[in-house]
Amino acid sequence: MNDALIEPCRRVQPGQFVRLRPIRLGDAELTLGWRMSRRAALLNAGAQSVGEQANWISRRPVGELNYIIETTAEGVSVGTLSLVEIDLAGRGAEPARFLIGEEERCRGLPAAVEALKLLYGVAFDQLGLLSLSGCLAQDNRRMLKWHKYMGMEEVGLLERRAYINGREQGLIGLRLSRADYTEVTLPRMNRLIALATRGPNANKES
Amino acid sequence: MIESEEAQEIVFDALRTLNGELPEGEKVEVGPGLTLFGVDSPIDSLALVSLIVDIEAAVSERLGHEVVLTDDRAMSRDVVPFSNVQTLTDYVVELSKEQH
Repeated sequence: MNDALIEPCRRVQPGQFVRLRPIRLGDAELTLGWRMSRRAALLNAGAQSVGEQANWISRRPVGELNYIIETTAEGVSVGTLSLVEIDLAGRGAEPARFLIGEEERCRGLPAAVEALKLLYGVAFDQLGLLSLSGCLAQDNRRMLKWHKYMGMEEVGLLERRAYINGREQGLIGLRLSRADYTEVTLPRMNRLIALATRGPNANKES
Repeated sequence: MIESEEAQEIVFDALRTLNGELPEGEKVEVGPGLTLFGVDSPIDSLALVSLIVDIEAAVSERLGHEVVLTDDRAMSRDVVPFSNVQTLTDYVVELSKEQH
């Protein structure tokens, strides 16, 4: 792993409405609560206790960037987002663990859009990656629509399946190229973020 | 061209589809006054995108060509089309008139 390239990505990534900050051991209880909530039902199963979650956080490999999404105005932690399987030689990685755990605190904010924009900025602009790939459970239809609208290409069902939300499910593969990130993803993200600046809470986060 | 009543039904259909994707307790009340974004909206950004995707698909199919609801022009209007169901309905009608 190229430390000079990846170390700056382990710092806070600032945005207008939210920022990404590296996860820390003290986030174990909060993130465990999010992971065990109904909103996380379509993610892979994780730790079952604060101790297990703290252990999981402490064992994150160097090839991962694990962030907490925080609001810029109040500094409230509202979700998680990661970049995993970072391959600087092959110039690819996988966005993962995308979860807004505090939906009420994000009402009216483009928290999910801007968090993902910041992560893609880390991947494509800071690390110079050429593509991102990942997968979603078949039942996760809203997230599938979201990622496809944001420029990801559906590449089909993966061979492996996973036990998620109480049943075995197929996994849908997704891929985002650097070209689509520039031409499709960024303009759409910027428009959705701009939408929030026109809303009734336009000045809330300024 | 799409008339107001049909445009509203397209928006309602997309909201019903959204309700099918939302868990119990997060479903929205489908009606003309529903706020679609902002602090008063029951719709989060994931759901808003889902709604936009479904409405774009329905309007595009109806008009026979691709329609984009979230272009720069839409975002720069005095009243953003996504404020509520009525403004979105009006915007769909307006787009269809222009492209008629």
